[in-house]
Amino acid sequence: MRRKWRGRLVLIFFIAVVLLSGCNFSGSSTEPSEQTNEGTTNDDGARSADNTLRLSLDNDIPDLNQVKTTDGISFGILNNVMEGLYRLDENNEPQPAMAESYEKSEDGLTYTFKLKEGIKWSNGEPITANDFKYSWLRAMHPDTAGSYATILTDYIKGGAAYAAGEAEADSVSIEVVDEKTLIVELVQPTPFFVDLTAFVTYFPLNEKFVEEKGDKFALTYDAILYNGPYVLTSYNQAQGVEMEKNPEYWDKDNVAIEKVSMKVIKETSTALNLYEAGDLDKVYLASADVDTYKDSPEFQTETEFRTYFIQFNEAKEPFNNDNIRKALQLAYDPQILTDVILNNGSEPAYGLVAVEMAGVDGQSFRELQGDVIKPDIEKAKEYWAKGVEELGSTPQIELLTADDTVSKDTGTFLQSEYKKNLGVDINLVTQPYSGRLDTMRAGDYQMAVNRWGADFNDAMTYLDLWEAPSNTDFRGNFINSQYDELVNAAKTEADEKVRIQYLLDAEKLILEDGSVGPLYFDGLSFLQKQNVKGIVTHPYGASPDLKWATKE
Amino acid sequence: MNKYLFMRLVNIVITLFIIATATFFLMKQMPGSPFDEEKLSTLSDEQRLEFYARYGLDKPVSQQYFLYMKTLFQGDLGESYYFKGQDVSSLIIGRIGPSALLGVQAVILGFTIGIILGIIAAFRHNTMWDFSTMLVAVLGVSIPNFVFAALLQYYVGLKLGLLPVAFWESYSSSIMPTITLSLMVIALIARFTRNEMLEVLQQDYMLTAKAKGVSQFKVIYKHGIRNVLIPLVTILGPIVVSLLTGSLVIENIFSVPGIGSLFVDSIKVNDYTTIMGLTLFYSAFFVLTMLIIDLLYGIIDPRIRISGQRSE
Repeated sequence: MRRKWRGRLVLIFFIAVVLLSGCNFSGSSTEPSEQTNEGTTNDDGARSADNTLRLSLDNDIPDLNQVKTTDGISFGILNNVMEGLYRLDENNEPQPAMAESYEKSEDGLTYTFKLKEGIKWSNGEPITANDFKYSWLRAMHPDTAGSYATILTDYIKGGAAYAAGEAEADSVSIEVVDEKTLIVELVQPTPFFVDLTAFVTYFPLNEKFVEEKGDKFALTYDAILYNGPYVLTSYNQAQGVEMEKNPEYWDKDNVAIEKVSMKVIKETSTALNLYEAGDLDKVYLASADVDTYKDSPEFQTETEFRTYFIQFNEAKEPFNNDNIRKALQLAYDPQILTDVILNNGSEPAYGLVAVEMAGVDGQSFRELQGDVIKPDIEKAKEYWAKGVEELGSTPQIELLTADDTVSKDTGTFLQSEYKKNLGVDINLVTQPYSGRLDTMRAGDYQMAVNRWGADFNDAMTYLDLWEAPSNTDFRGNFINSQYDELVNAAKTEADEKVRIQYLLDAEKLILEDGSVGPLYFDGLSFLQKQNVKGIVTHPYGASPDLKWATKE
Repeated sequence: MNKYLFMRLVNIVITLFIIATATFFLMKQMPGSPFDEEKLSTLSDEQRLEFYARYGLDKPVSQQYFLYMKTLFQGDLGESYYFKGQDVSSLIIGRIGPSALLGVQAVILGFTIGIILGIIAAFRHNTMWDFSTMLVAVLGVSIPNFVFAALLQYYVGLKLGLLPVAFWESYSSSIMPTITLSLMVIALIARFTRNEMLEVLQQDYMLTAKAKGVSQFKVIYKHGIRNVLIPLVTILGPIVVSLLTGSLVIENIFSVPGIGSLFVDSIKVNDYTTIMGLTLFYSAFFVLTMLIIDLLYGIIDPRIRISGQRSE
């Protein structure tokens, strides 16, 4: 009997050991050598008085392979451990990074970049112009590229054919003149091309290193070569990353933070508890928590270049009628939506292009354009009466939204506004995120809540969505040759002022046609500890940027 | 016995095959694709299909099914669409550890406390002991575990600072999730044990044992618990499976890098291979646990030893 028990105990012990060893506590994975390095700091002070920035990620990290990855979380990490030719500063202006300077040809089509002297990869090897060419080609090649390839192929001459597998690498106009000089030729004048070089898909790669790692590239922290302000010291997709200052970084004297941790926390309430416990330095708030913290000195908001809007389908009744479209476009007040319902720092939209998006001569696009669509109930009523008369009967209307809370709330808001202001009943149809996209693509909707997040800091990112011939059903069958001409003219125009004027006209045109109804510009509320400063977030592309962050 | 085992294993393979087939076709009915559809919406339909073609997703579903089954029979679960460049099998192995640790601890804790509470309640039938134990049991079943988790996190983690609020950094990180998960088990097992024990106590053999002068502890241990265990083993199976395969809510609240949230997320992003891999993994785990439990019956209760062919 006793022997039998001993056997069982051994078995239980064995299972326990296997389980504990298999469960990857991240705390146990820190290497002993690192701990001896910081032996001077007292152990229990690790929480407070140190130079570690503690941030959170709201989901798992899908992919750190820069040429393939497509999600904001991966972009945000890569932006701090890698660096492109330029880096965006706090005003979203590109500042020289790997590049020292650039020259633009007169027609705006050829860019010559000069790289800095003495820039190195984290293994000490020099960074050359070829590292950029190799990476950019990789980001376009059908075998190695992801769905962000278009951010290169749309601009770089020969890129589209190469990406389609129809041309060789030689036909792509990226030329390495010498180790420090890179010449790129563009399809059309692109005033924001330098901004683009700050984006993740444009970061360089070390050919030798990537080929050596093969399939394993970017799967672990030691299978990536870094050139940014920080390097990764641990990487677990489900737990997060840890970073350390990069000793090889060219501008390391201006990097004040020694260590950064970004941990995966999916529950906003958990993140908030961790923030309260001092385990996080910054936390984004759910709408429900905003009122509690609104008056705290740690409370801040930021807006994104992401616009939510109603897309009317002009191929479906009743929205083939101009008056009905215009009636529904004017009959709601976005201010109520942002202040009462969303309550998260979002701003009401009276146009398509987001607030603060670049215009020309230091003025933003919105400042130049002003408000295009302001709610006007009286006018809406007039349009409605006229439209109903033309149709001969009151139409049945369905609004399609995605099924997440925010989209559903937006739908309910519109429903009640139309009821209140026009006396019109509309029905709501909710579908899962990708279901809504499929339905819209099939043109099987009357009106839908859609959104678009900018890829770069220029109004073109919004306005060429409606340009023929791409996805007519998805874009509400807005077919207007005048609009196409304006957008096309803007694409080939080298004079910045004229180009922006084309875009301003285009925005006005589509809004006054009543094809889209602007709702709001997405915003976020967050808390940030007062001793933390200099975390730069951009309203588009890769965020945050921790290069200039400090912690007292 | 061997023949029985063989038949069961054949059954398991057929079951898994049916599950794989059904899941595959149901999964393909979901709208969307594993890619960033919002970005793809800027492409023309032609370009979009070209993009799908790179991953073989432009083919008819039936053809995709045969291709998947072919690789599956070679023992390959394929590569994740979302976690690019990673095998589904290594993804599962990487995530199962934390979930399994929480599950095992919750089962052990839940069963130990549950059985003890149940026995106390049965032996002190209709006393304060009984009532308070059953009150705990009712609360345990009726309080949703995420509410309990949030309370625990707020008071024990944040206000008292006794345990880490969240994360998976040391063994102490596993304590609060374990307690949360075991609450339900304690409640279930306590009620169950109490009712069974009350019935066992009425049995003649218990009276006989007492009449023989066997001590009360021995009566409970040798005759009581052993008989209570049989029905307990029946509910053990589902509990073990659900706990070991992770709980989405608890894992998210305590930021545990487990398998429960992986499953839900993979469905959200249409990560086909991961959905298939996890479904098969869950199913295989479930049917195998059921098999083990059926075999366990024989050990606990000689009366139901299968087909009675074991030579003893």
